Amino acid sequence: MPADSNESRLARLLSQCTVELLSELGVQPELVSGMPHAPSAGECVAAFSGFGNDQIRGSFTFLGPGKLFSRLHPLPSGVTPRDLTDWACELVNQSVGRFRNRLLAYGVKLALSVPQSALAESLRLASSLQPARSPIAFAIDGMVLEGWLELKIEPAFRLAERPLANGQEALKEGSVVLF
Amino acid sequence: MTLTSAGYEILEARDGREGVDVLRARAKIDMVLCDVNMPCMNGLEFLETVKGDAAAPPVPVVMLTTDGAPDLIARAKRAGAKGWIVKPFRPDLLLAAVRRIAGEPG
Repeated sequence: MPADSNESRLARLLSQCTVELLSELGVQPELVSGMPHAPSAGECVAAFSGFGNDQIRGSFTFLGPGKLFSRLHPLPSGVTPRDLTDWACELVNQSVGRFRNRLLAYGVKLALSVPQSALAESLRLASSLQPARSPIAFAIDGMVLEGWLELKIEPAFRLAERPLANGQEALKEGSVVLF
Repeated sequence: MTLTSAGYEILEARDGREGVDVLRARAKIDMVLCDVNMPCMNGLEFLETVKGDAAAPPVPVVMLTTDGAPDLIARAKRAGAKGWIVKPFRPDLLLAAVRRIAGEPG
């Protein structure tokens, strides 16, 4: 995939958004090239959110060990399986939500689906699905959080080189506005 | 966690529709914190429903969401929301906002 393609640039933007989010959660994520070949061992969590408009459709999936999602939880001790899957939904929602907020400045508006998650053993994205997705992996405390970005883009779509002068600026994450 | 630690009693609803049912069923609810991206009935639909419902108590609603789009914020304000918080939130700022809306000392 060319580095300046829509897909590459959107993947970089989503990757940046995810790094920002994880950093705000108090960890230092490192981008990893490639994906682990072995499935995550033990209890794993997968969470995904879809997004789209009339020119772009896609989804983003997080996949990783349950221990990693527990580590990222605001209350790491005493996390129940329900807490874990709820939290995984929240993580993918916040990552894709931040991506949507950034894209507003480029004149791109996305609608998001309600995130979904699942808890399973020894989980790996099906190899038949991998070619249609861009892998974005993050190393965190010796564990790997896999991100899989799926994009279907209409040929006429072109992401602007930089934020537009007349693009909308989203309210920044963490902002509190009272009316 | 932030709010229960501060002594508030929290009722949860899984989506906007359940939120409307909870509001209609409970006489005393002081405030609603509401996500936007929810199944069945999203947060803005919930807001517009309860603000247009004479049977629902006039409770302050604050939106708590990943979405920072100015047009949605303007829509929520027009519909009668009391505030908009973009996740992830800082617990101290959330608590300060809740106390301010509840009319309590910060």
